[in-house]
Amino acid sequence: MTTDKDNLRTKIQAAIQSQKRPTVTVLSSLLAIQDSIGYIPEEAIEEVAVNSNTSINSVFGVASFYPNFRFTPPGEHSVEVCWGPTCHLKGATEVLESVLEKLGLDSEGDTDDGKVSFRFNTCLGACSQAPVISVDHELYGNAKPDIIPNLLGSLHEKENHHQ
Amino acid sequence: MSDKVNLTIDGVEIQAEPGSMIIQAAMDNEMYIPYLCYYPGMKPYGACRMCVVKAEAPTPDGSYRALPGSPASCTTPVSEGMRVETNTGDLVGLRKGIMELLISEHPHGCLNCHRIELCGPTDVCLRHVSVNDRCVTCPKNERCELKDTVRYMEMELTTPLTYNNRHLPLEVKDPYWDMDMNLCIVCSRCVRACDEVRGDRAITLMDKSGRSIIGTAAGTSLLESGCEFCGACIDVCPTGAIVERDYKWDKAVQKVSTTCPHCPVGCQLDLDVNKRNKVVRSIPNRQAEANMGMACFKGKFGLDFVNNKNRLRKPMVRKDSVLEEATWPEALDFVASKLENHRNGDYALVASARGTNEDNFVAQKFARRVMKSNNVNVSSNSRPKLVDSLQGLIGDDCATNKIWDLLDSQVILLVSANITEEQNVASVPIKQAVAKGAKLIVIDQRETELTRYATKWIRPLTNSEPVLIGGILRSIIDQSLEDHDFATEKCEGYVEFRNSLWDFDLVKVSAQTGISQEEIREMSQIFANTEASSILYGLETISDTHIDDTVKSLVNLSLITGNLDKKSGGIYPLFSGANQQGSRDVGCVPNLLPGHRPTASLGIDLTEISEACDSGTIKALHLIGDELFHNTASRSDFLDKIKATDLLIVHESFANEVTNIADVVLPSTLFTEKNGTYTNMEGRIHRLRPATGPKGDEDEDWRILSQIAARLGSGNLSYSSSDDVLTEITNEVETYKTLQIDNLDSRGHIRKPALNSSYLFSPIEFTQSEETLVNDQYPMVFAPGRVLFDADRDAGIITENDLNTITRREIIEMNEEDAKKAGISEGDAIKILGEEFELTGNAHLNGLHSGMVATTTLFGALIESLNNSSKPDPMSKIEGLKLCKVRIEKV
Repeated sequence: MTTDKDNLRTKIQAAIQSQKRPTVTVLSSLLAIQDSIGYIPEEAIEEVAVNSNTSINSVFGVASFYPNFRFTPPGEHSVEVCWGPTCHLKGATEVLESVLEKLGLDSEGDTDDGKVSFRFNTCLGACSQAPVISVDHELYGNAKPDIIPNLLGSLHEKENHHQ
Repeated sequence: MSDKVNLTIDGVEIQAEPGSMIIQAAMDNEMYIPYLCYYPGMKPYGACRMCVVKAEAPTPDGSYRALPGSPASCTTPVSEGMRVETNTGDLVGLRKGIMELLISEHPHGCLNCHRIELCGPTDVCLRHVSVNDRCVTCPKNERCELKDTVRYMEMELTTPLTYNNRHLPLEVKDPYWDMDMNLCIVCSRCVRACDEVRGDRAITLMDKSGRSIIGTAAGTSLLESGCEFCGACIDVCPTGAIVERDYKWDKAVQKVSTTCPHCPVGCQLDLDVNKRNKVVRSIPNRQAEANMGMACFKGKFGLDFVNNKNRLRKPMVRKDSVLEEATWPEALDFVASKLENHRNGDYALVASARGTNEDNFVAQKFARRVMKSNNVNVSSNSRPKLVDSLQGLIGDDCATNKIWDLLDSQVILLVSANITEEQNVASVPIKQAVAKGAKLIVIDQRETELTRYATKWIRPLTNSEPVLIGGILRSIIDQSLEDHDFATEKCEGYVEFRNSLWDFDLVKVSAQTGISQEEIREMSQIFANTEASSILYGLETISDTHIDDTVKSLVNLSLITGNLDKKSGGIYPLFSGANQQGSRDVGCVPNLLPGHRPTASLGIDLTEISEACDSGTIKALHLIGDELFHNTASRSDFLDKIKATDLLIVHESFANEVTNIADVVLPSTLFTEKNGTYTNMEGRIHRLRPATGPKGDEDEDWRILSQIAARLGSGNLSYSSSDDVLTEITNEVETYKTLQIDNLDSRGHIRKPALNSSYLFSPIEFTQSEETLVNDQYPMVFAPGRVLFDADRDAGIITENDLNTITRREIIEMNEEDAKKAGISEGDAIKILGEEFELTGNAHLNGLHSGMVATTTLFGALIESLNNSSKPDPMSKIEGLKLCKVRIEKV
């Protein structure tokens, strides 16, 4: 267990050190860590506090302010549904319901088996293709509720080629 | 020309400090603008918007330009000619809207209920709010700023009594306090107090707008979040969101301002007394210049001992080897008849560390005039050498500057003192100074809270501190960093002193102290190259034989850099005991008469008392309080020795091992039950005021002594009141002559410093420390440390008996060579064995000196054990972090 934690700390420290920018802040360090390991573990809060010469409480205050930081490891696959105005008008609600039903979720979150993390997105930048969903950062335009079961069906089995 | 800014508020012309905010200007001129998040002494924040005003400022052409919108007066600075309106119809409407938003998430049946004075706890609430939301179930009922604001502004609230309950669970598992975040209005005063004022950052604002709430990182316990349990967040909370757990719902019927008896800072506390005559709460006084509204874990949560019911109420006299209750005349007659035979020098008196100036003045007069003995002392005077030389060299024996002058020091040198625990509030200006950019140098083998704030943390070998400071002095001379004018014009003995430094070759110094020459040079540059550098010393880790040398070196250091006379320079001795300074001033020490006059013959030292009792030099021992017993390392040995005396008189408030063996026990009053004065470490005289009054036959120590004196035929010890004694003190003690007894408020009175017109340098010697702490059985020195939090160490919190406790694997630091010899490698489980304790942990091999081991524990663990202690007054009995001899074993 100790070695796992030490490994985690090493990764976190590497992520903090990897920032090639003139000003390293609490926020930039948190972002670097989330980019590197996908979430902000407790150890990351501690390491950022030590590195930025502030307290764990202040760092946690910053981290918890932004909804994009997550404190638990993400699932192997990510699914995002856009519910921005265009997608909303073009029928995102039905797509959303279908996705939630397929994943067995009520709202944003991770599936019970921890394989899939689901999030809302306010714009995926492809309004012309609305409604849009993203599966493992791959966009699917003109999404209809009936394509969802097929699209997401294999996620629980297949390995994530992005990782 | 006045450098103040002129402005008008509601048509009244006032003056304000440039740069101050409108709300502060109004407050200074006794005008009220309603506010909830603002707090004097903290930075402008502007969270609640309750203090909105209309303001207009003049333009160059003479017309007025309105400030846009309704600015918050707590974030808008004053400007010349500004006109401010605080109470227009618009503003009243705006504030009402803000209040309605706030109470949409806060129970508010109580806010403008007219029955508040009529209802009792069993009455049916006529406001039809649920039981949990009634006024009487709020811990801040009638102390709530939300309610005060609504009442004062006579707000006509039309909101329905329903509200959006957050349904957050109460947090009641941490020691001493409760948090109910359903009552929080997110003014973030507590977060700012913890951050800006105390520098701890133990709590934070979590989450984002709408759900944002006060808490700790990942919801951990305060025990490991860096909290020092000072209670500053409780004191500033406007609602019942953060409150003290003890006597949570008790209402004060009386408020008494008095002085804390726990340490030499002498915090001014406002004590809440309830209708059953109990002290239920302590709130530090914001007007007080000694503590500036600050307190610590001892002053905030460590005063409940005064309510303890197991008090000694009646005098007791030993008859046929049994202690029996007696009346005062019987007991006093008995004492007087016995003492009659001890007026030949075999009598010793040890006064209480909590004794007032009056108690201790009468005590020394009693011993000297009535008992004809110089054996008079106070139990806090365990290390008199801490200030003896200071007095000899500069004329006075107390801090040369005020505590809060440290705020503007540019460099602070702290030598071997654990201020956070021993003199807590004095650490607040240090932390604030560091936050402003001051440099802190800590010389200490132990890791303490302030080593975390230090620019340089120097861990010299044990007892090499005088040599180390000698090395710094030499390095200052070598680099010509000295203040030559000050050293030659204001001081004497500079040349001899300078010549004595040639012995301090840096190579030798470095070998003796284990500190590199480079570090020594750097320290001398940091200390000498500033406008104002101050020195604080406690010398807690230094053996008695080296204290005097260290003090002399430190005085030399202050003189050679010309810092002694500077406003934020100076030198601060840090002793323990609430009234150690006063005890010296009134002559309750064996070597000084009142007013620091030397005695003809020296009385016996505290450390020699038990031996003297054993050998028969002292046949009658008179103890006031039991602190002497507490300070003694081997208690059973101490008790055996003092048992050998013919007569043991003890003044005490609680029964303990000493009262059990006493011949006479006289019940004495506690600090909340008496009048008198304390003198704090900066020489500030503070008043004690009785909050509760005695409940039994107990009496003040000075009065007991004066009655014994009368029975022994000495009339000149009769006084009508403690002020009567104080009058005599002001006549006898030169430094107290300026004291006006009737004008003594919470700001206190600084006694006249007794500084000489010119200061003395003292030549120092390069001494090879012969003394060793260790022996063959215990060959290593152990340096225990304690800090508020450790970010890079895993600690667990488990909940036992509904209270949080810390579980953690300790890390034992040690030298690589030592480890190699003992066959220990990094991470191995090892055990430290001391004479009276045992500790296990994992070895961590770092650059520690050979022959030393160190650990650092969490302050939370100390708080946890204090909270669980069953002793009447555990806060005053905290063992200091002492160096001791140990051996290590591999597990």
